[in-house]
Amino acid sequence: MEVLLAQVINGLSLGSIYVLLVTGFNLLLLVAMIIHFAYPQVVVFSMYIAWVVLRYTGNSIPLAVLAALASSVAINVATAPLFQQVMKNREEVDINATMVMSMGIGMIITDVLSHGFNKGLPIAFPKELVGDVALFRLGLVSLLSGQVVSLAVGVLAVSGVFLLLYKTRPGRAFRAIAEDPAGARLVGIPILSTGLQSYALSGLLGGLIAVLLALMLGYASPGLGEQVAHKVLAVSIIAGLGNLPGGLVVGLGLGILEALVQGYISGSWSNAIAFVVLLVVILVKPRGLFGVKL
Amino acid sequence: MPLPWYYFLAITAINVLMSWALYLPYRVAHLHFLTVANMAISGYLSGWLVQVVHVPFGPALLIGFLTGGLVGWLVSLFIADAPTFTVVIVGFTFIYITRTVIENTKAVGSTMGMFGLPLVASSPGAHRWTLLAILYAVVLVVGFLIHRFEHSRLGRAASAVFVDKDLATSFGVDIRQLGRLLQVFSSTVAGGCGVLYGFIYRSFHLDFFTFHLVGLFMTIIFVGGYATMWGTLVAAPVLYGLTLLFPPAVASWRIVIYAAILIAVLVFKPEGFITRRLAYTVERLLSSKRKI
Repeated sequence: MEVLLAQVINGLSLGSIYVLLVTGFNLLLLVAMIIHFAYPQVVVFSMYIAWVVLRYTGNSIPLAVLAALASSVAINVATAPLFQQVMKNREEVDINATMVMSMGIGMIITDVLSHGFNKGLPIAFPKELVGDVALFRLGLVSLLSGQVVSLAVGVLAVSGVFLLLYKTRPGRAFRAIAEDPAGARLVGIPILSTGLQSYALSGLLGGLIAVLLALMLGYASPGLGEQVAHKVLAVSIIAGLGNLPGGLVVGLGLGILEALVQGYISGSWSNAIAFVVLLVVILVKPRGLFGVKL
Repeated sequence: MPLPWYYFLAITAINVLMSWALYLPYRVAHLHFLTVANMAISGYLSGWLVQVVHVPFGPALLIGFLTGGLVGWLVSLFIADAPTFTVVIVGFTFIYITRTVIENTKAVGSTMGMFGLPLVASSPGAHRWTLLAILYAVVLVVGFLIHRFEHSRLGRAASAVFVDKDLATSFGVDIRQLGRLLQVFSSTVAGGCGVLYGFIYRSFHLDFFTFHLVGLFMTIIFVGGYATMWGTLVAAPVLYGLTLLFPPAVASWRIVIYAAILIAVLVFKPEGFITRRLAYTVERLLSSKRKI
């Protein structure tokens, strides 16, 4: 029972990060109308930038956080014209082409990380900055500072995004484009600049996720982005592409599932089991559990 | 034959076949990355059959093709008419699962891989010529079949599905059957390629079947031209050969180079270098010359 409880707590904090990733991914999907497969790779790139800043500033956390946020926003906004050009070339929104483009960007990021940073070896964040201080301990059950921070920031960030989407004017513009791009254009919503705002917003979210991942995992590797990318796309498909509440449920579910599997089964198989479960759900419900919102 | 030429010709044939295996389902807008997992599954299975059970190479190769087809058929029961992104993620997930299973299976060398696979002919020279002959025979057969497919009603149906699934359905195209046919065919080709790929190097290692391979095949298709089979035939030797000509320091960045080319082509030449119009023009010219 103690193991179960400990793993559920682990799973909730991991799940909150998946939820953030899926929310950023879905935001781009709904508003910019792209499948940004490389979004998690952008997040991992920001982790590396934060690591570099930490090294050269004597572990200055504010600067590292700022660098993570800035790099993520910069990559997202810088790649926006590429995606927009691809869509313009195809004369209509071609989600498949944007996915291929995004895979190309992901390949570049992963290879740059494996060649240009730390000789391709995984990076480790300074021990004193990683959130592994136990705030509460009862037998096997412990509450680490990193888990509490990631869960709290995750809840706040997702609530913030939902508030923005459902209670503000820009949020209405985002939802209008997601619902009907042609209609949104007719009522005077600038499609391109609103799309760009979504790139910036999801970039900001990406930087935040990078900080939380660094806090929770304490390390990063070039291949981390690819692995997370596959999970994020899988979660999005299971939730129903573009379905924000669905992403919340499935993201948390995946976090808990992974933590439970890690708690009870040998490490080398745990990842595969999570993937098998994802695969089975996708095969049975290829269009998702909660309905596609595209 | 000098070894570098042998490897260039053999790997080019593999790249052509695997890119065609990816190209064919893409005719109905499916990026079917399951093919890379199929390479690994069939390759390791046949490698184990030859090395441990002492099955001759010919039957093992046949089993490789059949295993690929069987896995493709089983998966196609669920995703024959699924959206593109679902097919993509099923492929990636299969690659992960396959890699984990192989990593944990001692019989196929786990993380160490399988080494010292036997020669398929009496001497190393004959081994190389035999493999090249098989590879290019397969290229000819698969190329012929894809060419026939493209000029058939099924090919036109696939084009209709690519443009508009709903329209194709209303014209009576059975999307599920067509998707299944293409997925099974591409998986079968990939299964055979996996076996041949391992026997080229006379070993199997998990590093052979990575996501970089997916990136390479995708680049070949989109740079060559995703709308005709000829683009692959041109792009495969050029893209692979190009990186062999680079100095080692540059060649180690080949994935970045491939990805940069892929992005540039998507932006500036969305249909790739060999467009459908170009292919039809050349075909028409050739057929009119034949008439004269």
